Amino acid sequence: MFLVSGINIDNIIGFRIPGEFISALIVILIVIILSLIIGFKAKRADPLKKPKGILNIAEILVSFVDNQVSKLMGSKFKNFGGYVLGLGLFIMFGFIIGLLGFPNPFTYLGITLAIALCTLGAIHITSMRFKHLSYFKRYVEPLPFFLPINLVSMWAPVFSLSFRLFGNALAGYCIVTICYLAFSIPDSFSFGFVVTPLLHAYFDIFDGLIQMAVFTMLTMVNVAQEAPESEEDSKLLTEQLA
Amino acid sequence: MEYIAMALFGFAIALVGIGEAIGTFKALDGIARNPEAGSHIRTTLIIGTALVETCAIYILVLGILVWFVK
Repeated sequence: MFLVSGINIDNIIGFRIPGEFISALIVILIVIILSLIIGFKAKRADPLKKPKGILNIAEILVSFVDNQVSKLMGSKFKNFGGYVLGLGLFIMFGFIIGLLGFPNPFTYLGITLAIALCTLGAIHITSMRFKHLSYFKRYVEPLPFFLPINLVSMWAPVFSLSFRLFGNALAGYCIVTICYLAFSIPDSFSFGFVVTPLLHAYFDIFDGLIQMAVFTMLTMVNVAQEAPESEEDSKLLTEQLA
Repeated sequence: MEYIAMALFGFAIALVGIGEAIGTFKALDGIARNPEAGSHIRTTLIIGTALVETCAIYILVLGILVWFVK
């Protein structure tokens, strides 16, 4: 039994920092260092030649995200791909770091809540930016006595996004921990080598990819709904369907 | 009392499983009719399954709350 139970440090002050915070800080460090390295290399690269090495992967990722953003959100949100890619990398690395023995940072509800609140901020600030003061009409939408219901439905995306990520991470972590405990009995030593990589491949890699796709797609769709429809987007849609 | 609640949660999760299977069934029908739209259907299926799975996750969280919190 090694690092599966995570790194627990007992702080002198009085409260203890859970192992998932350390995981989250490590993931943030990895994403920041990766972004800085790619940024420095991209500035010095020649735009007319083919990209080499890590810039290749970066170009594939960025162009894929930009295509998805412009397909789903129209022409008004050209620079939204930065937020989406940063979020996606954080979620992906957060799930993958379970392969190294660290606990998944999304097993701590506060971390998923923080991400969902960022998306809530993006939705409402976009809405305020496009509608200026008639943003407040959404609370009295069909009839004025719907005000409490509309106030509660403002928080619905936060709950659904945070609990989806939390539940998936917690289920995977529980099953993997139970299997590690079961296979640490000396008599059954050969099954552990076969079963645990499969479990990790399903719960860490596959689940991470799907949760990243769902979270980013829901972010994009919710933010795109706040902008008003324009004529060019309807024309582009009819061209695509025809 | 908790045992009755956990049994009902188990039954509810079985219903979610049936729902996801019906979704996959219809997706296979769609791919069989129109093999060119295969990747569109596959993407929609995976995202739809993840969204339905949220329901199962709410039930999991409720189960943990009922069983471990006194």
